[in-house]
Amino acid sequence: MSRPGLLSLTALLLLAACTQEANDSAAAGPSTTVTEASMPDTPPAPGTGELTPLNMEQWARSCALCHVRGEGGAPVLGDAAAWAPRLAQGEEMLLNHTVEGLNNMPPLGYCMDCESGDFVALIRFMGGSR
Amino acid sequence: MINRRQFLAASSLAAFYGSGSPAFGQSGSLPWRNWSGGLRADPAGRIAPASEAELAAALRSTNGSLRPVGSGHSFSPLVPTDGHLVILDRLGGLRDHDNDAFTATFGAGTRLSEVGRALFEIGQAPLNLPDIDRQTLAGAISTGTHGTGLTLHSLSGDVTALRLMTVDGSVLEITEASDADLFKAACVSVGALGIFTEITLKTRAPYRLKAINRAQRTEDALAEFEARAEQHRHFELFPLTHSDFSLVLSIDETEEPVNNPPLSPEEEAAFGEAMRSWMAIPPAERRPLINGLAEQIAPSESIDAAHRILSNVRSNRFNEMEYAVPREVGAQCLREVLDTIAREEIDVVFPLEYRYVRGDDLWLSMDEGGDRAAISVHRTAMEDYRPLFDAVEPIFWKYGGRPHWGKIHSLGYAELKALYPRFDDFCDLRRSLDPDGRLLNDHLRRLFNA
Repeated sequence: MSRPGLLSLTALLLLAACTQEANDSAAAGPSTTVTEASMPDTPPAPGTGELTPLNMEQWARSCALCHVRGEGGAPVLGDAAAWAPRLAQGEEMLLNHTVEGLNNMPPLGYCMDCESGDFVALIRFMGGSR
Repeated sequence: MINRRQFLAASSLAAFYGSGSPAFGQSGSLPWRNWSGGLRADPAGRIAPASEAELAAALRSTNGSLRPVGSGHSFSPLVPTDGHLVILDRLGGLRDHDNDAFTATFGAGTRLSEVGRALFEIGQAPLNLPDIDRQTLAGAISTGTHGTGLTLHSLSGDVTALRLMTVDGSVLEITEASDADLFKAACVSVGALGIFTEITLKTRAPYRLKAINRAQRTEDALAEFEARAEQHRHFELFPLTHSDFSLVLSIDETEEPVNNPPLSPEEEAAFGEAMRSWMAIPPAERRPLINGLAEQIAPSESIDAAHRILSNVRSNRFNEMEYAVPREVGAQCLREVLDTIAREEIDVVFPLEYRYVRGDDLWLSMDEGGDRAAISVHRTAMEDYRPLFDAVEPIFWKYGGRPHWGKIHSLGYAELKALYPRFDDFCDLRRSLDPDGRLLNDHLRRLFNA
């Protein structure tokens, strides 16, 4: 199997796993957020991010729409070569691009309920820098 | 040779945004922007419930204005608020289904891509779908979003039941049998009556569709449009500006095996180059070039499960104006729009879209009262849409057009009241369900004279 094939298969399996985990987590308790000022004072340091069950759900319903098959030129989950130049710009820049939109990526990346900390965790997850 | 799918995939050139604006709004909460990037809001906060109980608690514990948001695909300012955004993302997924009655109930925040996939997995299929699959079901229903087909309603017309939470946190279970007026008002209601939590759709057994694309002279296509719209399950044109050609799409049911290979990046890029070459020359000089290219477009076919043919991703972002005019004047209106773009040398390469939608009886449906011809004009997200939209909008008015609620238009209460027989009834109902106007923003106040 070619490398792209392997990556795609991995992403699809991960997507299925994420969805299952999200379903499992839904019964764990309330998850409503009513946010007033959500910007963290200091984003988590690179390499320390963890995906929460909510992040996994957000990944499955939002990021995965484009970052599994590379829709619109989106860097694919785990494609280190595609992510490297982006990660090199720094997390603040990537976060800014995510919130404002860039090229074909829409503002907020289809994740309307993501807070800045969620975006940082998801970027690290997809870029393999966690 | 190129085909229509390549053309459409590349017809909105990549939008390039700078990164100069700050990521965080004045309120300290993340700012909101719509899909195209043209609308922005700095909400005081965001409510993201995972259940009706959480939504009710949040509505009761907040003050000020509220606006629901789906996936942000509306180009009209339905969402922007300085109050709280009510995010439906966590109210998604298939909730219930009946394979005998062919109905399925979804959480209101379910994306259309998930609707098609989930129905397929349980042995059902949508009757029709809009052509973009990223919207949420609630957003699509709320704005009267539609697909194509003379025998097929907008998605709102396929709704059989709704759960609507009003601003006081109470839930209304709405069907046509329980309250026909409320049902017909709620099925297209731009988030002005309450927050949808569940939506039940009429469905059918799974089926496969065969799409055939080709290029044809626009006048020839319009001459046979009525016959072909009645002959095919779906039939539409994508007229090419500053040319004599349209891309023509017909879709019908088939038993043939699946054959739907994705476009390669190289195929998309090749046609993008052609589009860029058109933009490099003045609009008045493009006709021979585009006509020559259109004559090279080979017919193409794709066959797949219905939801995969009907609805897909649009990666390249754009802004859009769409009006629905009475079916009998559709072709005349389209000709005038194309002639105006050519005569005024408006610099647009994005194809138009022309299609029929079946009439219905929903109060604020664009198709209320009879079949309509929907005509769409687009600009890429990086372009100023005003020269094009300002030039063509009066043409739509001249033909009695009704604007798509989620797309750019400049109409207000007085004009809308004249277009919709039950408009004042809707305004009265809105006031009764939301007497303090918590679900209004500036745009909705203008629409509903509030």
